[in-house]
Amino acid sequence: MREQTKTKKVEILSLEEAVKKYMHDDAIVAWGGFSSYNRNPTAWVWETVRQGFKGIHSIDRHGGFCTWLLNAAGAQKIHESDWDGWGEMAGKLDVNHIRQFKNGNLMLEEYSHGAMQMRFLAGALGIPFIPYYAPIGSDLYNPEYDTLGRANMRTGQNPRIPKKKFDSIKDPFYDEGTIMLLPAARPEIGILHVPQVGEKGTARWRGIGTMDKELVFACDKVILTCEEIVPEAELRRNPESNQVPYFVVDCIVEVPWGAYPSAVPFYYDYDAEFMRKGDAASKKVEDMEAWLDEWVYGPKEWKEVIKKIGTEKILDLKADELTGYSRRIKRGQNPPTRMTMPVSVKRVGF
Amino acid sequence: MKKKSQEEIINMIDKIPEEPAKKGEYALAEMMALADAHEVRDDDICFAGTGLPLMGLMAANMLHAPHALLIYESGICDGKTMNIPMSVSDQRACYLCTTIGTSEVDTFGFYLQRGYVTLGFLGGAAIDKYGGVNVTCIGDDYYKPTHRLTGSGGNADIGTLAKRTVYIMLQQSRRFVERNDYTTTPGWWCWDWSTKKWRPKKEVWANTPYAEYGPSAVVTNMGVYRFDEEGVMYLDTVHPGVTVDQIKENCGFAINVSRLNGETPHPTYRELYVLREIVDPERIYLSAIPDYPKEIKDIIWD
Repeated sequence: MREQTKTKKVEILSLEEAVKKYMHDDAIVAWGGFSSYNRNPTAWVWETVRQGFKGIHSIDRHGGFCTWLLNAAGAQKIHESDWDGWGEMAGKLDVNHIRQFKNGNLMLEEYSHGAMQMRFLAGALGIPFIPYYAPIGSDLYNPEYDTLGRANMRTGQNPRIPKKKFDSIKDPFYDEGTIMLLPAARPEIGILHVPQVGEKGTARWRGIGTMDKELVFACDKVILTCEEIVPEAELRRNPESNQVPYFVVDCIVEVPWGAYPSAVPFYYDYDAEFMRKGDAASKKVEDMEAWLDEWVYGPKEWKEVIKKIGTEKILDLKADELTGYSRRIKRGQNPPTRMTMPVSVKRVGF
Repeated sequence: MKKKSQEEIINMIDKIPEEPAKKGEYALAEMMALADAHEVRDDDICFAGTGLPLMGLMAANMLHAPHALLIYESGICDGKTMNIPMSVSDQRACYLCTTIGTSEVDTFGFYLQRGYVTLGFLGGAAIDKYGGVNVTCIGDDYYKPTHRLTGSGGNADIGTLAKRTVYIMLQQSRRFVERNDYTTTPGWWCWDWSTKKWRPKKEVWANTPYAEYGPSAVVTNMGVYRFDEEGVMYLDTVHPGVTVDQIKENCGFAINVSRLNGETPHPTYRELYVLREIVDPERIYLSAIPDYPKEIKDIIWD
């Protein structure tokens, strides 16, 4: 039976304390953010790997830095997702994922992006399933392709794993054809990284939301890592800008740069170079292990990871106040150009 | 050669001639991005993923389709970017956008499923003759594939719920197949697993709003393909320097070449200029770009 009452009193913990308290082996976890580019709770997954948790079952909107790192450390057992990549232009395919999958260490249950989003919406709405039109005729809805079913995990014994991967129905209301039915996503723990949280738990982000809002309601335990804990009153001055009401949050952890190498709009930009290097390291097991020693097991605390990045890079990554991203960081072969107005607006307006 | 300011670079666009460039004056990636761009109409509402599709769309916005509206998969609507995004979640895409949306319920629900999207720009690893695409895995066994790819992402949603979809991909005979090892996104015909037969999408999706939606073109490094009234792929134009025989050799099914409509237009100098100096001056997507010919260099650098 799902935990129905959600009012909570939030606790503020250190990263180490919080991971120790909330994570456990075989946890079913949802990670916030978008690919490895936007607000990934990387400090949390870094600490999770350091504390040696294993068998993680991630339910994701798609892979990102978090799942990449879990795969690198062999800490992930099941990934319900719609995309096993992470670094997009800076390392598209998650090589660690491929390796773990081929070795039989990782199970993959696939949906499409829209379907996964709708699964989280259903979870957030408190309903057991939701209709969505896509896409019939795809092998995503081939009855033979049901990884969790094949592993005999759809018995109903685990209340977080639905008895079916999908179903379908003929529209009984408007005669609009066959529509797929998707089971709600019901992770145990949801972790997001946000820029600001009030000390009672009210939270706000800027830029895109991805699936974070649904995550916060679909998951039973909600942890927010943040750039800064601010006085609750400050966020309540502009409540329409807030996305998370305080009473759904279990725990807050203040960890500046806690989303690196992903971006936190208006705080810092993403580090494409770091992602490319990580991707290169992932191609060989020895290199990946050396990378883990250098970046995960070596540093004593998250702050040391950030110090390792170097002052110059930090200065370049710092986001501009007006645009929310950095117009200094070099992402390709040439440094970025400076415009005062987007070209299409200059030529034809809006 | 004095370095120009951004202002001067932008004002220069209309001074660059719209003459077609010659072979050797542009890279293949540029040709493909611009062939993609030609598919955009001024009144389109588009979805594009990062990579060549996004470049094509941004170029189209500066040239023949200034009012085409781009929605990013992350929910950003009509972002007016100054620096090309590396991801659909890149904050650069948010600049001067109309709304960002709270979540991807907006993107996949309110915009896509609700029917606003007229054009989807997608990639594919392999494609069948009905425009069905595979971005999931290669091999006979789904559970033990020869190669794992990234998986659907938004491909399966956009490819079925957008009114028209244009695929951009590499052409090789192992990528242009009779039937995909795994069909991530069905095209005009869907494979029925129980009867082991193809069924038209119109029938499988009957009565839904999307029954008539599907792939409209495929842009590869060799040519441009479209789909006939039966939903079967045919060759429309070959890229300059490519022969019909080469097309057939690099196609794993018997491709209809009887409707061949000449050569894909060369990119114009103006299009190349826009792509190189405005869309991707940081050279994140473009690399190994040939130099402009002397007459064009003289105009740009006077």
